Amino acid sequence: MSYTLRGRVETRLAAALLPVLVAAPLSVVLHKWWPLQLAGLMLGIGLALDVAVYHRFLPYQPGWAAVPLGLLELGLTVAAARALELGAPLGPALAFFAAAWLLAQLLVHAGLPLVHLTWPEDGGELGRAGPGLSVAAPVALLAVLGTAWAVEPPTVRLEAGVHQGPLVLDHAQTVVGEPGTVVRGGILVTADDVTLRNLTIRGGEYGIEVRDAESVEIDGVVVEAAELDGINARLSQLDIHDCEIRSLPGASTQGIDISFASQLPASVVENCVVVGGMEGIVTHMANVLVRDNRVRSTELRGIAVTEMSMGHVEDNVVEDALGVGIFCGDYSHCSIEDNRVAGMRVDPSGNPTRAGFGLVAHYGAIATVEGNTLERPPASFIGARIEPR
Amino acid sequence: MPERVAIVGSGLGGFVAYATLRHAGLEPGEIAIFGDEPDPAGAWRPRAAAIRQRRMRSESDGHCAPTSFPGLAAYEAARRRDLAPLLLSVCDRYRPTVDVFLHHVARLRERTLWDESFVPARIERVAAVEGGFDVGGRGVFRHVLVATGHPGLALPAELARDPRVVHAYEPHEYAERVAVVGAGMAAATEWLNALEAGAEVVSVRRREPARRPLNVARPLFGKRGLAGFRRAPRGRRAELLRRFGEPSYPPGRTWDTPLERAEREGRFRVATAVNGAEQVICATGFRRGYHHDPLLAQLVEDHGLETEDRWIVLADDSTVPALTDGARTLSLAGVPGQWAYPAADTLVGMKVAARRFRQRVVSCPTR
Repeated sequence: MSYTLRGRVETRLAAALLPVLVAAPLSVVLHKWWPLQLAGLMLGIGLALDVAVYHRFLPYQPGWAAVPLGLLELGLTVAAARALELGAPLGPALAFFAAAWLLAQLLVHAGLPLVHLTWPEDGGELGRAGPGLSVAAPVALLAVLGTAWAVEPPTVRLEAGVHQGPLVLDHAQTVVGEPGTVVRGGILVTADDVTLRNLTIRGGEYGIEVRDAESVEIDGVVVEAAELDGINARLSQLDIHDCEIRSLPGASTQGIDISFASQLPASVVENCVVVGGMEGIVTHMANVLVRDNRVRSTELRGIAVTEMSMGHVEDNVVEDALGVGIFCGDYSHCSIEDNRVAGMRVDPSGNPTRAGFGLVAHYGAIATVEGNTLERPPASFIGARIEPR
Repeated sequence: MPERVAIVGSGLGGFVAYATLRHAGLEPGEIAIFGDEPDPAGAWRPRAAAIRQRRMRSESDGHCAPTSFPGLAAYEAARRRDLAPLLLSVCDRYRPTVDVFLHHVARLRERTLWDESFVPARIERVAAVEGGFDVGGRGVFRHVLVATGHPGLALPAELARDPRVVHAYEPHEYAERVAVVGAGMAAATEWLNALEAGAEVVSVRRREPARRPLNVARPLFGKRGLAGFRRAPRGRRAELLRRFGEPSYPPGRTWDTPLERAEREGRFRVATAVNGAEQVICATGFRRGYHHDPLLAQLVEDHGLETEDRWIVLADDSTVPALTDGARTLSLAGVPGQWAYPAADTLVGMKVAARRFRQRVVSCPTR
């Protein structure tokens, strides 16, 4: 195919139409702007390459060139998305890009030649439809992106150094720390759509306290020396990724406690490290996915899904826990798979349910298990059941 | 409904135009195809058979269907349940077999009801008259596409009376010592054919053949490459067309390996004369120029059409400017259309002319 410049631009816009049309409702459904922003970014980068590079250096573009050019555009899109901090999750963003790329290939190899007979010899130009598309598509996209930008929660950047808290976040916003940013005294979140990223929180009653808030994201956060829990959420839905909770004073503290949210969508705790405290990760009456975490040196239970919670506990490592490693209790339903529990300690209290079990189901709970690595067989007590998957 | 569109020539060029018009919604009764041979591949088939051609030189777009997609690669992939044709196609490496191509022609002929429009008649003259064109006394048509194909086989004058001579595109077997005159695709094919038949081969040529995948560079198949070509002054344009017509055949080991082996064995060599050969195969292609085509020569003479060198000067949409206006169209497809589109003699080129013709027919207010 030998594109004219106009043909490249018009074909690019035609190919971007459906991804943008998909991204718009997706953004509405997800309450996130990244699908639209990503679609806009892909289109912008594609158009820039069309004008500045492809048109100059590719007078003829064989079909196979779509693969390396697609990879080039993917690399630039990922880099730009990171630089602009779009907040697009990598997996879904890659899937979106791949789907848009495949669609574009179908369009240029099959769709456009079918609906517009002279498209190939016209160098990708779309005839009378082309100029309209060239004007309407960027205007529509800019309007949507402008709206997105205008209504998007503000981003607050905290400079490196110590910031005295507690911070109270009572409206949607993104708080991003530079390397070396410390908030002393904790953060209280009481609004939906709050994101905390790259922060160290030191001291405070709770490191992060979330109350009656949804779509809260906690990403790359370190909590040190909180007086009670590292992260404590009530009536809330939150996603926690790549966190570290350390220097818990023990006794009655939890690393992460998500409770009283059974009517809300599932919360996620992923890739976190919790050291010390009474319980590492605990849920009461909540829906949770607890995955790929490392919990160490707890005094009551490593991971506990209890009080009628629904929980998936997968691929976690629990080490050096006193009494119980993973606990499913009080009529909860748990799916417990591919976890590794090691170095359990027997509780000296003599309580038979705390005899250093890697996995315990208790009081009417049902635990479905598969692929866990335990030092001794799991145990169930008081009407609870452990069922292999 | 009266016939309003005439296609002069029932070969592949006419067939492509017919299929394109049918795709635009014209009924068979609205189109008349004039020609000697009801089979659209009737002229092409024996030539391909004569040179033992097994695969098409053209790529995945080299078919007669009105839309580029689905091409033969897609059909082959679906038929064989194999992605290989599609992968080869995106790498510009898919070359359908002659059998696949001929099957496609037969199927399309049936599907488009070609035979309902075919009129067995050789047209000697097309003349502009009131309301359109008189097509050899067979009626007056508003829109006429002339696709008469190549105007006969070319033989070097000095060999014309040589009893050893056979043209590559005529049926023939191979003697023990064969001279192949020419350096294009047909010549290269004949070198390999004769070697495979056990002959000693002498390649007689005046110049070294160019090695390129297609006669015309790929960018010249599209608007971008054509822009430069069409901007060129007439003399330069004719010079470019002559250059595109110089003999060439594709690069690749398929050609080189057997030739190198035969050369080492002393069975293949290059010479400048045919001396000593038992058989002389002239792979010298076709006569070139409108003046070899009686219908076109007459057309130029009757209407004083503009010409340059051996080409009739055409508009970019392959129409004859002096005889085309809002109410009528005279279009040239195939070889005579090269002035507008250098690759007009390829299937892709035939489609380009056909699509422009279709646009004019469909948008004509007096259709």
